Amino acid sequence: MGEINTAFVTLIATVWHRFTPSNEEASTLADMLIPMDLAGEEVSESFEFDDEPSDFNSALEELADVGGQE
Amino acid sequence: MEELSKLDLCSVSSLISTREASAVEVTQIAVKRAQELQPSINAFIQLEADEALESAEEIDKKIKNGERVGPLAGVPLAHKDMFYREGKVTTCGSKIRSKFKANRTSTALDRLSRAGAIYLGGLNMSEFAVGPIGNNVHYGDCHNPWNLDHAPGGSSSGSGAGVAARIFYGALGSDTGGSIRIPSAMSGVVGLKPTQTRVSRYGLMPLSFSFDCSGPLTRSVRDAARILDVIAGYDKKDSTSSQRATDNYEEACAQPVSGLRVGVPKTYFYDDLDPDVEAAMKAVKKQYAELGVTLIPVDVPDHDHINLIWAAALASEASTIHRKWLRKYPNDYGPMVKRRIEFGLYQPATRYLEAMTLREKYLREYCGTAFKDCDVLLTPTMPVTAPKYEELDVGGGEDMPRLVLKLSRNTRPISYLGLPALSVPCGFNKAGLPIAFQLIGRPFSEAKLCNLGSAYQDATDWHNQVPNI
Repeated sequence: MGEINTAFVTLIATVWHRFTPSNEEASTLADMLIPMDLAGEEVSESFEFDDEPSDFNSALEELADVGGQE
Repeated sequence: MEELSKLDLCSVSSLISTREASAVEVTQIAVKRAQELQPSINAFIQLEADEALESAEEIDKKIKNGERVGPLAGVPLAHKDMFYREGKVTTCGSKIRSKFKANRTSTALDRLSRAGAIYLGGLNMSEFAVGPIGNNVHYGDCHNPWNLDHAPGGSSSGSGAGVAARIFYGALGSDTGGSIRIPSAMSGVVGLKPTQTRVSRYGLMPLSFSFDCSGPLTRSVRDAARILDVIAGYDKKDSTSSQRATDNYEEACAQPVSGLRVGVPKTYFYDDLDPDVEAAMKAVKKQYAELGVTLIPVDVPDHDHINLIWAAALASEASTIHRKWLRKYPNDYGPMVKRRIEFGLYQPATRYLEAMTLREKYLREYCGTAFKDCDVLLTPTMPVTAPKYEELDVGGGEDMPRLVLKLSRNTRPISYLGLPALSVPCGFNKAGLPIAFQLIGRPFSEAKLCNLGSAYQDATDWHNQVPNI
């Protein structure tokens, strides 16, 4: 399995984004990406095939405070 | 009459409307103070003194003629320099936009203007609203009025510092992960981040389509409520703004709080606090108990996951917005800001879509768990107080991500969840730097937050402390 490193960042930048970062920049970015990638993998486990499409703004309305004191 | 500068927004507004003070007089004092303090605090990017005084004269004429004026008539405000004004330069704290003239006016600014507020100028901010410190490589760092060696907090740095220094009576800031609440806490003023869709974002520089929102920084909760009363509500120019009716936020400040239930999270928010912050929070809980509020320990869902997916989604959106400029003007960004935006370019689309799809699920889980037995959550706004600039490697070194995480630890998850939150000053550490607590509510519970925050301020005096500058 490959890994996120300077070469990976440079490749993505060059191919997908049409610019070439310096080695130092690519190295720092790779260091920032590694923990994010590991966490993202973990979080993605809670994503289910049958999840319904999300509508966050509607959820805000639905879950709104009802006001007053109970 | 210098004493006028020490009053809060509602008090000075009352004096202007009854002609005990004139808008011109109040604005002249604000301009003078802005000019005097600019070399030390650097709160402004653009001070519009002539325009402000002209507007103040118009307000005075209207009042003299008995014309109807709005609830902010004659009150000098200034705003983070990312709210567009048609035909005027809005720098967004950046070199790239140093000469950018907007083709439209922000709805929030337009509503403030219609309410009679005086526009004093565009305020210092973190470049493109990225970063919780308050530094800016292009316009100079903003400084904390309580101690100029310390950072004021960002990204709405000039908003917090200028209100704290009693230059102007209120300011708008923007909050994507804590950028209203962090400078409020670090500079010792009130900061209100509304529900994600409560205030129109039309004409606001974008950082993140999903998490950006704007709100007031003020001297008192009642002041913030008055500004929210003016800027909140549906705007057909912002299709994401809520059509839900607004509450009367200022009126809510006068309601009793006895019987309200305030949740104190058992995990996360109270971890790793500075001892002075911990002591201040104990005093806040005691104060609320004396006000008749019921304090309940509550469970909250895991925040570490929320924080990470917030960061992934924010970076994806910011890098999408900035991609062209990252290629065209790579050397015109500050190094730290560039890195924090650029890293979104290297994440797969699936990561972003997971983060956005899970957002609704996390919100439902959060409301069902954290708010199951309480109306509002009480937390420290930050686990620490304002650090010294010299403690910070603002050039973007290895410690920067850790520092960013600590300063915004208690604010980021609330931005991901789109919930409203109010930061209220509640003391000082041994070095004289402000400490603040945060009230977090269900969606659209701003009135309840104002109610609880104002009740605390009616019983305490922290918000009336003025820095010796």
